[in-house]
This record gives sequence, C-alpha cells and structure tokens, in this order.
Amino acid sequence: MTGGRVRTFVLAFALSGGGAFAAEPMSLGGLRLTLGGEVSGSLSPRDRGFFNDTGYERNPLHLLRLRLTAELRAGERLAGLAEVRSEDLAAPRVYALYVRVRPWSRRSFDLQAGLVPPVFGAHLRRSYGPDNLLIGEPLAYQYLSTLRADALPATPDELLGQRGAGWRTNYGSAPAAPGLPLVSGVRWDAGLQARWHGERVEAAAALTQGTLSQPRVREDNGGKQVSGRVAWRPLTGFVLGVSGARGDYASDRSATSAVVPASCCRQQAWGADAEYSAGHGLLRAEAVWSAWGVAAWRAPLRARGMSIEGRYKLMPGLYVAARACRLGFSRLTGAAGTMPWDAPATRLEAGLGYSLRRNLVLKAVFQHNARDGGRRRPRNDLGAGQVLWWF
Amino acid sequence: MVLSRALLSLAAVHLLAAALAAAPASGSIRGRVLLLREPGPVAIRPSVAELGMPRTPEAPDRRRSVVYLETAPQRAFEEHGGARARLDQRNESFVPYVLPVIVGTTVDFPNSDRTYHNVFSLSKARRFDLGRYGRGQSKAVRFDRPGVVRVFCDIHSHMSAFILVFAHRFFAVTDAEGRYRIDGVPSGTYTVVAWNDGQERETRTVQVNEGAAAELDFVVR
Repeated sequence: MTGGRVRTFVLAFALSGGGAFAAEPMSLGGLRLTLGGEVSGSLSPRDRGFFNDTGYERNPLHLLRLRLTAELRAGERLAGLAEVRSEDLAAPRVYALYVRVRPWSRRSFDLQAGLVPPVFGAHLRRSYGPDNLLIGEPLAYQYLSTLRADALPATPDELLGQRGAGWRTNYGSAPAAPGLPLVSGVRWDAGLQARWHGERVEAAAALTQGTLSQPRVREDNGGKQVSGRVAWRPLTGFVLGVSGARGDYASDRSATSAVVPASCCRQQAWGADAEYSAGHGLLRAEAVWSAWGVAAWRAPLRARGMSIEGRYKLMPGLYVAARACRLGFSRLTGAAGTMPWDAPATRLEAGLGYSLRRNLVLKAVFQHNARDGGRRRPRNDLGAGQVLWWF
Repeated sequence: MVLSRALLSLAAVHLLAAALAAAPASGSIRGRVLLLREPGPVAIRPSVAELGMPRTPEAPDRRRSVVYLETAPQRAFEEHGGARARLDQRNESFVPYVLPVIVGTTVDFPNSDRTYHNVFSLSKARRFDLGRYGRGQSKAVRFDRPGVVRVFCDIHSHMSAFILVFAHRFFAVTDAEGRYRIDGVPSGTYTVVAWNDGQERETRTVQVNEGAAAELDFVVR
C-alpha cells in the first residue's frame, strides 16, 4: 500500500469513527466487528546520540504513528483480533493477529494463538499512547544493545569495539544493522498463549517462535521460547508481577567467524514489576534481567534494565509525569581491559499531558540521555511534543 | 452541543417567561418517547494487548430519554439547591446512564465494583476528576451550572454517562416503556424537547391548561 493510500484510508476511517468512542459494533451475519484506532504525531529535534532509535530505525520522539485495531467476535467465547500499524506513513505492518478462545464459559481461562501480545513484564501491554505517561519508552523496552541475532561477534574485542553503537553495529562481513533491545517493543511474537485469572492472581504462559529481544513470525533457529508471568493483586490498585522467558535468539544463518553449536545462543530473562495507584497518583516500577549466550565464549552477556515512573493529576485534564531508567551491562575482558560489554545508559524523562478532549491529548516532555562511554555522543538532551488522538 | 446551548439559554430567557409566573394554576404534560431504532450494544474499544477475554460490562440503558421544557416560568429558576442524586459505578458501567438534575444538586459517585474506577468530566458545565478509588468508597460533586456533563472513567474507556443539569424543575426521564410525566406546569404554551443518548431528538409545542394533562408523544428516529 502506498503512503498516499494509507493517508486516504486512515483519514476516511477517522472521520467515520470520530468522536470519543470506539465505532459502534457492526453485525456481520452473527459476528460482531468493532474497530478502534489511534493517531499520534511526535516532534523533537534530531536525536544525534541515537538513544531513542528502535529496531525499525525510528524514533518514538519524532514519529507519526497510525494504529487500527479490529475485533471480530462470535459470541462470548471466540474472537479474532488484529492490529495494523503504519509509522511515518510507511507501508502498514501487521502488529497483532490472533484468535482468542475461552474454552469453558464459567472458567476464567483463555487461549490465544497467532501473533500474540507478550506475557513478559508489564510495559508492553500499556505502550499505547493513552497508557504511556510520556512519549519515550523505558530503556529496557527500546534501547538497542550492540548484540545482534543475525551476526555474532567472534571475539570479545570485536564486541567491545562496538560499545555504544547499538543503532548500527558491524560484525564480520555482515552489513551494519541495529542491535537487540532487552525486550522488543516494536513487534510481537507468534505462538500460543494461555491465561488464567482469579480474584487476586493472574498467570499467563506462552510458547512462541522468537525471543523477547527478537520476536519472530517464523522461527529461524529450531528453538522455541517459553515465557510466563504471574501477577498478584494484594490490594485494589496494587499489582506485583514476576516474569521469566527462555529461548534461542540467534539465527541459524548468523554471520560469524565463530563455530556456532546448536542452541548455543539462548536468551534467558527475568522480570519484576509493580504498580500502585490511589487518588490522583500512580507509581510504576519495573526491572528486567537478561542474559544472552554467545558462541565465541562461555560466559553469557548480561544486562539489566530498571525503570520507575509516576504520574500525578494536577487538575481535570492535566497531569505531570516522570520516568527514570538505567540500563547496565556485565563486564567483559578484552585487549583494552575489563569493561561493560556495552555502554551503560541512563534516561530521565519528565513532562506533562493535557486533555483537550477525552480522546485528544497533548504531551510535552524533556528527556535527558547519557551513555557511559562508546563511540557516539555520550549525552543528549531533547524536548519533544506529541498530539495523540484515539477512538 | 445543541442541548448545552438550550440549557444555558434557560437562564437568559427566564425573564421573558416572567409573565407566566403570575399564573398559579397548573396542569401536566405526559406522553411517550418512541425510539424507532434500538440502541446498539455498548462499543468496547478493541484492545489487542489483553491476555484474554475482557469482562463483559453491564449494558447501559440507552433507551431512557429526557423530556424537558425549553423555557420555563421564572419562579422555576428559584427552586434550587440541596438536592442529592446518585450515579453508581457497577459492573463497569455507570447506572443510570442518563441522570437529569436541577442546578445545585450534589451527585454521589459510589464505586460498587471490585476494581478501581476514576470518574472524570471535561465538560464546560463542570470539569472534575475524582481520582481512583475502590469498592465501597464514594465521592461527590455539586453541579452549579446548567448544561450537559459527560462523565467518563479514566480506567475503563467504555464507561460513560450523561448528567443533564437544568436550571428549572420541568423535566422528566422516561421509564422502561418510554413514558414520562411532568407535573405542576403552569398554564401556557411551551416548547418541549425530547433528548436521547446525547442529542436533542425532537422539539414540539404544547398547550397546558389548568388541571388537565396535555398529551405529547415523540418519535425518535
């Protein structure tokens, strides 16, 4: 689909579904189709430190994003869901496409199969415009490390030579390409997922093709990922969650000079998240620990991402919010000494949001980024604005 | 919004109706609002990020209409204050879906669900945000300006309701069969409006005579 066609389609849909609500469900011979969508436009100066680059080489602070979601329901126990996205008016991509089934009507147990939402952590399921308090993303879900799935470093020195250049890494003869985040926030994995929830506990597990940092529609290494999360709600407004995931991330076709034994390159991750809200305040914290096995040496490459964020509503329609993130990496010894295998990064983001209407929000943020070492600009401070409209 | 203008205009035109204030004799207006089109099911914004089937909320009763006088006798504008009304949050729905009140009324917003709710409105007639509160708790808002107040929940985007704040007492909400009755209307000729689901649907004129009930039906397409 060309950019022009995308524009026309989105505009026509937006006009037809305008207003503060999802478009009224349409009946299709016993099925019920409901549509929803979101349009957001963010503007900021160029990020010369490449702190905000995503796996698709775009920047959430400087992005026009169109999202169209659809749900086709057949009764109370079967539904098909899909989401299509276009970023900067590029050709639309399918972000979600799956079937949701509730096998027993009286049990809170659901199965989902297809391109499914991740069960790991908490942020990915609230990364939509209205749920994201700010414009940027937490480092653990966006920042690109120097590790790649399609080209592995043959030696520690080769990896250390790329420190701080995750948006564009070079290994061996492979062309330069972005590295992996701890958890990818720009695409979902394909597979099967199950969820059960009770009064205070929710448990979810998934078997998928890719891994947290490299979700895939078709597997390319013969390995599957197993992931899960358990959440506990001891009080209304208070949620604690723990997550885990394990899967093979590197492609069988990885370009490397090292000998790659089968299933050598596994990503294992653990996560912990918490959310508390009361009155006009909201507080969230999340931590992700990830370890990637590499072919050329025994010790895995470890990384940890931490974030804490909060929001307070000052008056009807106006809130202030802030987020602090830190991304750290395990140490590796090379010819130049022992150092973190990628440059640790810090992000502080603060701003405010104002609702002109219930579904029309303006956001303005200031973002400070710092990188402890690496080849590129170690600091970058950015201001950004966003207009967000959803239906 | 058309209704908003109409309600606000009540305060401005009440002097024009002052002549009617001298007529103590009263009658009533009654009738039925017939909805030709059945309101559709509640539209829940599809969320692909859910890990399972979302709860099915209680369907709001969108068949209820409000019938009101566009203009009213002056003394009707002096009957304010002190009233109390209730807009419950139950099964992820506001109950009732439409709540007509007179200026000066305080509305309680109890939370009867196990989850948090966050009632708010960005309407010009009354902006408020009650924050998040849980089951068994209630917060209240006083409405001092006439107009339409659209109420939402900040957590559950499918929850919405209307509070219609009138500057006079000559209004009624229809029952399950669409019937309404407005009593104590001084004799005279009035413009009567039928409102349903966010819009003024039909406007008609009626003559009210002393001790009599004027019949006035509306058909909403």
